[in-house]
Amino acid sequence: MSLLRVENLSIQFGGVQAIQELDFEISEGTIHSIIGPNGAGKTTLFNLITGLYRPSAGAIYLDDAQIAGKRPHDLARMGLSRTFQNLRIMMNMTAIENVMVGRHLHLNRNLLACMLRLPMITRADKAARKRCIELMDLVGLGGAIDADASALPYGALKRLEIARALASEPRLLLLDEPAAGLNARETKEIDDVIATVARAGVTVVLVEHDMKLVMGISDHILVLDHGRKLAEGTPDAVRNNPAVVAAYLGQV
Amino acid sequence: MADIRPSGYSKHRKKQTYTRRLGTRATPMQVLMSERIGGMGALIVIIAALPLLLANNYQYDVAITIGINAIVVVGLNLLIGYAGQISLGHAGFFALGAYASAILTARYGLHGALAMPLGALGVGLLAYIIARPILRLSGHYLAMATLGVGVIINIVISREAWLTGGPDGMYVPPLEVWGVELYGGPIWYWIVAAFLVLAVWISLNIIDSPVGRALRGLHGAEVAAEVAGVDTTRYKVMVFVISAVMASVAGSLAAHFSEFVTPEKASFFHSILFVTMVVFGGMASTFGAVVGAAVLTLLPQLLADFASYEHMILGLIMMAVMIFMPRGLVPTLTGLARRRGARR
Amino acid sequence: MPPAFVELLQFLFSGITSGAIYALVALGFALIYNASHVINFAQGEFVMLGGMITWLLLSHGIDLPLAIAGAVAATVVVGLALEKLAIEPVRDANVVTLIIITIGAGIFLRGLTSVTLGKDLHAVPAFSGNEPLELLGATIMPQSLWILGVTAAVVLALHLFFHFTILGKAILATSHNRLAARLMGVNVNFVLLLSFGLSALLGAVAGILIAPITATHFEVGIMLGLKGFAAAILGGLGSGLGAIVGGLLLGLIESLGAGYISSDYKDAMAFVVILGVLFLMPQGLFGKRGTERV
Repeated sequence: MSLLRVENLSIQFGGVQAIQELDFEISEGTIHSIIGPNGAGKTTLFNLITGLYRPSAGAIYLDDAQIAGKRPHDLARMGLSRTFQNLRIMMNMTAIENVMVGRHLHLNRNLLACMLRLPMITRADKAARKRCIELMDLVGLGGAIDADASALPYGALKRLEIARALASEPRLLLLDEPAAGLNARETKEIDDVIATVARAGVTVVLVEHDMKLVMGISDHILVLDHGRKLAEGTPDAVRNNPAVVAAYLGQV
Repeated sequence: MADIRPSGYSKHRKKQTYTRRLGTRATPMQVLMSERIGGMGALIVIIAALPLLLANNYQYDVAITIGINAIVVVGLNLLIGYAGQISLGHAGFFALGAYASAILTARYGLHGALAMPLGALGVGLLAYIIARPILRLSGHYLAMATLGVGVIINIVISREAWLTGGPDGMYVPPLEVWGVELYGGPIWYWIVAAFLVLAVWISLNIIDSPVGRALRGLHGAEVAAEVAGVDTTRYKVMVFVISAVMASVAGSLAAHFSEFVTPEKASFFHSILFVTMVVFGGMASTFGAVVGAAVLTLLPQLLADFASYEHMILGLIMMAVMIFMPRGLVPTLTGLARRRGARR
Repeated sequence: MPPAFVELLQFLFSGITSGAIYALVALGFALIYNASHVINFAQGEFVMLGGMITWLLLSHGIDLPLAIAGAVAATVVVGLALEKLAIEPVRDANVVTLIIITIGAGIFLRGLTSVTLGKDLHAVPAFSGNEPLELLGATIMPQSLWILGVTAAVVLALHLFFHFTILGKAILATSHNRLAARLMGVNVNFVLLLSFGLSALLGAVAGILIAPITATHFEVGIMLGLKGFAAAILGGLGSGLGAIVGGLLLGLIESLGAGYISSDYKDAMAFVVILGVLFLMPQGLFGKRGTERV
């Protein structure tokens, strides 16, 4: 059964059709990649799915519940999480605090309890910190736990985004170009992290330009061009699709 | 539903020992330097020792005014310093608290201890109602809207003389507890001190909690916080209300202490003074807020010797500190101390 | 003419007069905001200086035209000094820090004025007498015509400057994209300096024009500055047209509100309206509406 289903989805910005009548499904437990040339609408699609944009037409279903137009924090509650292509790091906080913001929904947010610093708050914070440290270890940031986020290099911040997204324990994780700007070794490490996350049962949707990573890791690939679906299928099917070769791979 | 167990993720995990990073890492020195223990300790020691230095009523007045301002600024710092939302109208909430106490006790005979929470409740309600539309704004538009709220409160207080005494202000009866009038510097010093310590404690608690991380998170990267499940609108409204209520309580204290209120308390200049105290002491630093309130309350008193030059010098100092220490006094100084400590 | 109409006309005249002043102040805000994204809370002090220095020079027996020129020149020097000494060194600081610096500058300038020129209210004579003119039954002061005429001339001059001179275009380019402008060879620091000079000029002109009507005082800039800011926001921050429309609108609302609703709440009208507009249109009337890129 599909976890996420997109039907006839469209959005326009001042006359420009960024996404046009898009249909696709993502089944639970798979790694699903979205590729396409720059400006194909990949990030726009992510913004639609995570509630940052409201579609002009069409519907998005998560477990058969219509979610288009819901606010991002409501979608987080439903198990959606994502990273950003242009980093969205809280530079005014430490690395671990960034990850702990990701655990927000799993903690007691009662204002009175927080104001009085009841023992249950400190206990839960301690446990949350422990879990977040594990996540930071997972993405290879075990050495930067209490560092100021603003002091970390670019590659570390990309991992920090992933750790923060994982901290909410999502069912559906959307990664927007996690390997962009990373070297070969770092890309391989991110690759491993994604595989590990998927093995734990999280459905992963990936926007990525690194074809080696995409072809190696994906169960299913969706190719976008000018906001439309160009092709869809297994990596092999997409690789050999003449339309894709002509429109996309041919250019590289 | 898939349950992610981070502990199931990593093959390398077992090589690491977490306990080192889970709290035992702090040395006694670090504990003393920490905000919660060291900072609270230092604040309490200073408050306890200060009366030894206070020689007369005037000096008590200044110390009490510092404490009252510090309560407002600690709350405002939650809003501006931590959550990153500016307000140029908080003197309005301060004045509403003061006038609520004044009017409810002087005109309706309520007990002061009842008037203060009623005022705070009313101010909190008002702040809650206006916060939603206001906090959709950001940057200069938010500055304008909050400024507008402050100015309107100020004008209403000045015009509705039948209730507020108008521009001349009104008399406030002294606070009475079990038949004893609370009057004079020494008594009020301890009352205000207790409220200030409570305000600082609450502020530190909030910051170091899920709520505080949500506030700082929406300041640092609003979209990311939202995606992580933080209802950013709700938290902005929440912190706006908290800071307004703290201002209202401080206003009530000020009214009963000075036994007189004037619309001046709601003036734009007064709002600006509160914001300046936040930035001056250091944004996103609770003790910075206290230091900022202390310095900027003391400064005009010290400058009183320069009589008419007071405002010129105050303006110059405000500019100089912002130019040479844009992060504010406390973060700049603790940063210096830390660097020096590291070199040693 | 029916009395109700005359009354309305009277309110409109006074509304447009003060609206023109608000528009000038708002333009000053918009200019500096465009060049630097700073809200200059000392803008009201430029207005105050214009009026006070004119009075000072007049009281020393200097002719009105010369006194006006001197007051404008002195205020511009103050504006340039403010940019050079207090804004340029911290140009990339955060918004709140910059706001506090300009507020500090405002307090300093008020203090300086009260020390040197005193705390009294000073009258400045109208440019061409106090003989009211009659128009459709309502009266209008010659000074109001001066205000409207000079404001129109200033707006026209600014329009020509921004659209037909290299310097004006450089300022516009910088406001659109500072980095690109720098790459194109625009001296961004100079543009910043110029915008403060121009804003000071606009403020001084507004202060000189209004001084014969309201008299002048070292604290006259506070309310005028706040209302000018409100007008700039009402029109959409950074929009020149918006500043003018916002200013006129604010003046009219104030005058009609004071006339028909409550004169006690004249000063509050502007802020009630601005809150309403911001609640409904968070970007002001003419502000840019942009989708945040994620």
